[in-house]
Formats: sequence, structure tokens, C-alpha cells
Amino acid sequence: MNFKHKYLFLLPGLLVLLGILIFPIGFTVRLSFSSWDSFYPGLDFIGLDNYIRLFTDDMRFWEAFGRLSLLSLTTVFLQYVIGFSLALMVWKQIVFQRFFRVLFLIPMMTTPVIMTVVWRTFFHESLGPANDFLSLFGMQPLWLSSEILSKFTVILVEVWQWTPFMFLLLLAGLLSLPKEPYLAASIDGAGPVRTFVYVTFPLMAPISIGAIIIRLIEASKIMDTVYVLTSGGPGTATETSSFYIFIKGLREFQFGYSAALSLTYLVIMIISFTIIAKILTKLMVRGS
Amino acid sequence: MSLIASNLSLKPDEQYHLDDICFEMLQGQIYTIIGRTLSGKTTLLKTIAGLIAPDSGGLVLDGNDFGSIPVWKREVAMVYQQFINYPHLTVYENVAFPLKQRGTQKAEIHNRVMNALSQVGLEGFQSRKIQALSGGQQQRVALARSLVKEAKILLLDEPLVNLDYKLREQLREEFKSIFNTKASADSILIYSSTDPVEAMQLGGQILVMDEGRILQQASAKEVYENPNSTKVSQITNDPAMNLFEGMVGEGKIILSPEIQFDSPTHFKGLPEGTYTFGLRAVAITLGEIGFPFAIELSEISGSETFLHLKHNEINLVGLLDSVQSFSIGEKVTVKFDISHLYAFSTDGSLKSSPYGGLM
Repeated sequence: MNFKHKYLFLLPGLLVLLGILIFPIGFTVRLSFSSWDSFYPGLDFIGLDNYIRLFTDDMRFWEAFGRLSLLSLTTVFLQYVIGFSLALMVWKQIVFQRFFRVLFLIPMMTTPVIMTVVWRTFFHESLGPANDFLSLFGMQPLWLSSEILSKFTVILVEVWQWTPFMFLLLLAGLLSLPKEPYLAASIDGAGPVRTFVYVTFPLMAPISIGAIIIRLIEASKIMDTVYVLTSGGPGTATETSSFYIFIKGLREFQFGYSAALSLTYLVIMIISFTIIAKILTKLMVRGS
Repeated sequence: MSLIASNLSLKPDEQYHLDDICFEMLQGQIYTIIGRTLSGKTTLLKTIAGLIAPDSGGLVLDGNDFGSIPVWKREVAMVYQQFINYPHLTVYENVAFPLKQRGTQKAEIHNRVMNALSQVGLEGFQSRKIQALSGGQQQRVALARSLVKEAKILLLDEPLVNLDYKLREQLREEFKSIFNTKASADSILIYSSTDPVEAMQLGGQILVMDEGRILQQASAKEVYENPNSTKVSQITNDPAMNLFEGMVGEGKIILSPEIQFDSPTHFKGLPEGTYTFGLRAVAITLGEIGFPFAIELSEISGSETFLHLKHNEINLVGLLDSVQSFSIGEKVTVKFDISHLYAFSTDGSLKSSPYGGLM
């Protein structure tokens, strides 16, 4: 076959890539240097104005980013700990093993938005069953309208919804571990706890890092839970970066500025995940 | 120190994996368990290690019940036929692993690990990852890990079986030297193998196993010279001892109308009747005078030639100490060295051997 013809076969894929990835990114970059909004639509070039505004005059974005970091790191940490515990529980032969494996996956099979509506109803401060029950003990927590508790509620719903995904990844990892090191460890004098610390955890480190990064990427895009559960409130107590960009772009129609926000967010995320992956590798693989 | 097994039995399915196993093993000795695949060797070693619980019977070490001690608290070390190590650790960390579990001091761990690595010829490899080692080196790491523990019982489950021929030969010599110096002096060393040559080279005591039972327990020399049954003679010889039916009568041995010869002197007193005779391949060669056989197959192995011979219903394997070529079906004259002939009863038990005379 002629060498040049090989590129012909690559063309359909390249065209799709160009259409769905390269063009939108290129357009967003160009958009971020424009003042396009609902009053003045168009790609008027305004240089770095949007970026200067973002870095000098928009604390709300950086607060939202700090909140996002807190929510995503906390939820993924909890998902990892709970998911790993559940996976370890059904990894070995236990009674009703298959039943529990399916049971733990059920939250992931539900529709996130619908389940968030259910959770919102559950935590409704005057009509919800949570407070209905707690009122028996004289408590009426403000699940959705307290600055601190609303963050806890968002974390709880996210952990409930996505721990099964973590569980699934970690269980698959556990099931693929070689059996031989366990034979060696038992002969070498390691009891169950030491076997976990010195064999299971280190062997699971690469899989754990992958699972954590996948979940962090997902968690950093947190939008639907916040949108349905609290709409970013009370005030901006649960407002995250993506929700803030959504407000700027699709509620206030500041397309140029929201493009600058999106690109800055993208760059920060790429740098953050690279650093997190390196730290995790150092801690989990080399450390163990 | 002694390890006593009394009536160990294990029957997880239709077949016994261990069938009434009894033995006494002493400190400073090498015990080689030899048997075919699925004869129960690995099951027995795993039972001693505590990885498998027997249905009945017990193990006593130094007068104390050994069977009820959990596996991680038993004073045993084990090397498996697969190269079992910790893939995420370095060579040094692998060897140090059992000592860390015991809470040994860092300085002592270092000394013992370096000593064990030097014993198995892996000095300078301590910071390498396991995956960066060859199969033979990985098995040396596993051996070092078992030696460093200085366990009372050292179990080696066919440790050379997954290595190539050259490496197997080399490691066999090295293992023997290691066992004969340090390891076996302080511990009971139990080695399992399917290879009769390996078992004989290691020396010590041999336990011949088949279908979960111990068929014979004796020194390597005794098992070689006086295998107590046809099964043992098959298991402990490579190629398996040639067995053929025949009669003893009027001072002669009659295998067929064409193959008759005088009884050897060590058969003196053997009652007339039907026997199964045994002759090792090395005692069957070609000669000017002998019996007519046809070549079924000739195999060159190193500097020797194995001949698969046939005469009517008699099939034999002979050995020539030179490389020779033959065509299939070629007629040859075969000479028996009858001074090495064994006689077994028709139920398989040894009746006369060249080394022990009548049994």
C-alpha cells in the first residue's frame, strides 16, 4: 500500500476530532478574548481584559474554586474509604456475596438528577422525613439553608451516588490481584491486618490512583447535585466553579467572560490533577 | 527437634489427597518427597505449613501440637514451584519481609538479609525490582526469603520445576550446597520433587508418595537399591524401571520362548512361579550375544541414546552411553545385565533385589 494512503484512512477520525474537540476549544479561546454578551454579541477583540478581570476583580470565582476543592477532595476521599471497605467486604467468600455486590451498586444505577430531587425532599427542612424523625428528639437541622450543613448535605448525596462506582473499580482491582503474594505473606508471618497493609494496599495502589483520579475529574465537574439540591445556596455557600461558570455563561449570557473562566478553570484542573497524581504516586506506590 | 505426623488424612472429594500419612522427621535432615503429579506432595507440604487443614490426624513439633497454630505463627518457611515473591517490593524488601513481620531490629534485618542474599548468590541485586529479575533469580529471592527466617521447618515445593534445564542443573547443585551447610543444620528441610535424579542427588531421606499415601520411606540409597514395590520402582527411576512378566523355574528365568536365561545368584531361593521382573534402562544395552528385539524409537539425550525396544509383548527402554542412530523397525541384539535384575510378586511387592537378595 502507498504510504500516503494511510492518511486517507485517518481522515474521518481527524475530521470528527476537529469538529467536536479542536474547533470548540479554538473557538472558546478566541471567545475568551472577546466582550461577547447579550448586549454586544460578536467576537470583538478586547485583549486580556477578561483575564485581568478574573484575576483582579472576581473573588467569587476563587471562592467557588476553593469550595469545589473542598467538596471534591472530601467526597472522593470518603468514596475511596467507604468503597474500599465495601469492596474488601465482598471480595472474600461471604454469605450472600452476590446479593451484596449488586446491592452496593444500586445507587449508581439510579438517575442522578431524580435521586437528588428525592434527597432534597428527604432533607426538606419542614416537610422532609429526616427532620420529621429528628424532631422526635427535638432537633430541626437546617440541611439546605445552613452554610455549613448544606455543604455536608451536598457531600452526603455525592458520596451516596458515586461510592458504588469507586466500589466497582476497586472490587475489579481486588479480584485481579495475584494470589501468590498472599500465600507468601501468610507463610512469612503476616496476619490479616499486616497482609492488608503490606500486600493488599500496595498492590492496589496503581488501581487506587486511577480510581481516585477518575472520580476527582468527575467530582470537579459537580453541577447537577448542586443545581437541584441547593442551587448554590444558601447565598453562595455551595456554589462551585462549574456552577458559577454556568451562571455567568447561561444565566447572565457573558459568553466572552465565561469562556475566559472556563479556560482558566481547565488549565488549573490540568495542573492540579498532574500534581495530585504525582503526590498520590509518591504516597501510595513509593511510600508503600 | 522432631516433626511427627500421625494419621494425616484429607479427602475433599471422591479421592484421598492425603491418606493416613505417618512419619517422623528429625532436625538436620533433608527429606525429599518424591511422587508423580497429583500424588499429594504439595497438599502434604501445605498441610505442614498450615495452609490446608487435614480432616483428621495431627502434627506434633517438639512434643507440642503444631496443627492448631495459625499459619502466620508457625515456624515454617516455604518456597513454591511458581516464583512467589512480592512484585511491588525490591529484592531487599522481599527478603526482609518475614523479619519485619516479627519486629526484628533494623540492623539485624540488614545483616541477615545481606547474608541470605550472599548465600543465594544475589549480592548487588538488593535494590532491583522483582520484575527485573530472571526466573532463576526470582526463585533465588524466594529461597533467600525462606532462609532468612531461620524457620524450624523449611518447605520446598518443586522449586526447580519451572526453570529451564541448564538453570535447573545449576540451581540444584547450589541448593544442595546451601542445604548441606547452613539451612539443614538448624531445621527440618522438606523438599518435594517429581524428578528422581533430583531426589537422589539431594540424598537424605526419601518419602515416595502416590495417591496420597507414603509408599516407602528410607534413605536415598535404600530406595534406589531396594524399591519396595513396582510403583516405587517406577516413581524413583527416570526412565521408569522396565517391568516385564516372566516365570522362574529350574534355575532359569523365562520371559518368552526366545528369551530365557539363567537365574542370577541373588535370586537363589526364590520360589518357582510367576513374577514381575524389573531392570533399569542402564542395564539394557546392545551386544553380540543376546535377545532379538526391534527398535521402536531411538532418542538422543545429551551424550546418550535411549532405545525403545519391542519383542512380542515385551516393551523395554535401554540406554547406550554413546550417540547412535537407528531406523525404526531395525532388528538388534539386546543384552541384559541380569546382575541388576529385580523380582517383584505379581501384586507388586519386592521379592528379590540385586542389593539385598531375597526379601
